[in-house]
Amino acid sequence: MERKTARATFTGAIVLLVVLFVSAGCAPAAAPAAEPIVIGAPLSTGFVYGWDAERGIKLAVDEINAAGGVNVGGTKRPFKVEVLDTRDLEPSVPVSDALLTVEKLILEKKADFIMGGPVRSEAALAALDLLTKHKKVSILTTGALTPSYHKKINDEYDKYKYAFRISGESGWMVKEMLDVLDQIKADYGFTKIYIMIQDVAHARSGGDILKAQLPTKGWTVLGLDVYPGGTTDFSTGLLKVKDSQAQVMILWMDMPESSILLKQWYDLKVPALPFGSILNAAEQPGFWKATEGKGEFVIANLVNAGNAATKVTDWAPKFFDAYKAKYGIEPEAYGTASSYMGPYVLKDAIERAKALAPDAVITALEQTSLMGVYGKISFNPKSHQVVPSYEPAQGAVGSMIQWQAGNRVTIFPPKAATGKILLPSWVKPAK
Amino acid sequence: MDILIYGLINSVALVLMAIGFSLVYGVSRLPNFAHGALYITTGFVAWTFYNTLGLHYALAIVLAVVTTAVLGAALYRLILIRVRGMPISEIIASYAIGLAILEGFRYFGFKGSTYILPVFVSGTLDLFGVTVDYQRLVMVAIGAALVVGLYFFTHHTRIGLGMTAIAQDERAALMLGINSDRTAVIALALGSALAGLAAVTLLPLGNITVTTGYDVLIFALAVCVVGGLGSWVGSILAAFVIGFAQILTVAYLKPHYSMVVALGAILIVLIVKPSGLLGKQKELEERV
Repeated sequence: MERKTARATFTGAIVLLVVLFVSAGCAPAAAPAAEPIVIGAPLSTGFVYGWDAERGIKLAVDEINAAGGVNVGGTKRPFKVEVLDTRDLEPSVPVSDALLTVEKLILEKKADFIMGGPVRSEAALAALDLLTKHKKVSILTTGALTPSYHKKINDEYDKYKYAFRISGESGWMVKEMLDVLDQIKADYGFTKIYIMIQDVAHARSGGDILKAQLPTKGWTVLGLDVYPGGTTDFSTGLLKVKDSQAQVMILWMDMPESSILLKQWYDLKVPALPFGSILNAAEQPGFWKATEGKGEFVIANLVNAGNAATKVTDWAPKFFDAYKAKYGIEPEAYGTASSYMGPYVLKDAIERAKALAPDAVITALEQTSLMGVYGKISFNPKSHQVVPSYEPAQGAVGSMIQWQAGNRVTIFPPKAATGKILLPSWVKPAK
Repeated sequence: MDILIYGLINSVALVLMAIGFSLVYGVSRLPNFAHGALYITTGFVAWTFYNTLGLHYALAIVLAVVTTAVLGAALYRLILIRVRGMPISEIIASYAIGLAILEGFRYFGFKGSTYILPVFVSGTLDLFGVTVDYQRLVMVAIGAALVVGLYFFTHHTRIGLGMTAIAQDERAALMLGINSDRTAVIALALGSALAGLAAVTLLPLGNITVTTGYDVLIFALAVCVVGGLGSWVGSILAAFVIGFAQILTVAYLKPHYSMVVALGAILIVLIVKPSGLLGKQKELEERV
């Protein structure tokens, strides 16, 4: 009896196995998933210019993938994002660390394209040779504002043709600043200025250009001070500004400690309007809370329109709302809208190139003409710098905001502006 | 006048940052390279108590300082005691702990410039024609009270005298029945609490960031090396030398070099007088 039961159990098990095998064999084969196109994003994720770019890229990639992916010569393929922390915005982290990260993305993560950073200008410049070595097309979407970047590509096109920059650069930002300063001079009669910058490549070059150009525009530059990254006390520097009787102080700092400077500016009641370009802390929506409202009236450059509320293009409010819905916060800093546009521009180029081959994609990127969040996106075919403009129909439009009553109010350029520049009570107009 | 006032403020800030490190080294001969991490831990813990748990601000900062003191004592009891007497291992172990704490905060999302603590008193005062905010004046008062308090603690209390004895001659202190390990635990707890006190006093002037932890360690090291490792009075003196040198650099040279001042001071002291301004270590060799 026991043997019968054992045999029946054994037979039952065999039958069950056979049924399982047969049903598995008869099941319709799953369609092979299309191989993803890997975007390697070397970003300094501990800093806002890193994490806002990561969020911008991922938001765009999610939208593109949800809409079916990228059409590569008739095959729909999704984007896949690999982010590695370069830490290049942290003080004392050597450039070589960021380069290792870029190489790791290429060699280990098998990135087809590089997007985002490196964020620090010095690291981005050094990474150009790596892009050449590995023949990887890159779209720089955040940080790295130095004009040397596109100048280098322009001067040695054949060597550095793999690199593109979709966000602004110091040279154009200085032009924007000079135009805003013209407006301030016309409205309030100010002519005296003090420059405070951080000891990094883009700020040094921006500061030098401003120092040279401001006198030609009728401004007297009373001083230019360079602060090392990580400075946590600006009292003495601000007292120098106060003693100099400057009416405007230009701030060009990408370190988070810039919020300390602005709190001290308020506490010391320095009678000069803070005009930041770049000014890390003041770009972020959390700035108001972080300074307990002491940062009111601070002007900051968000580089590309769309990083604060604006209706400069049809896409700008859609992006603003989508970002807020996904992350629960407004677009955070100057690299957000441009990082969001990165995958869309790449998708557009790949679809026109019908391939992922670097040379084909480079040619397609050079022919880009896409109406994006911050206006028409196209690249200078020689320097690969995004073409800037004050007119969204003609190029990439910038964005300057002033903190007013807890909100980031866009004050420039006119096409994107939603308000006018105001002065705090302790900064008196000169006319 | 502004140089005098802000030089004093900057110097007291350096005293606050360094005094805990100096105390721990003076008593236990343990260079606590987790000092900066303990400083920032207090900031984030106070922020969490105040913003997330909604505690009263005063209670939040007291609890944060106590938490840091307990953490410091636990670090010694659980980890550092095992490498005590092995200077290189002490440095590596304490630095590794500090690194783990700081990078742990970063990993768990404590990044950006939006973590702030409110000032104790808001507003400004005109002092001899120089505008100073109340928080900085409170900071100077706390720094002065701390120095006086530490003097009385180390000279007029049983535990303090035990610490002084260990600092002067550990073997003799052991023969007198002073428990070296227990004193070291107390020193670590007190040193960590001092780092915490510095944090809740200084951080409201800026924001709480992970990188500040590294900066505080560098400043504490600079002050202690220049003053003489283990010498509290030397540390205070060094804080004033470096503090005023930084302010003078910003005012008359370039702000760019202000960070170099602290590191340059270390180099000069190591070349000219390795024992520091008032340090006893290596003094005999220097004389020979």
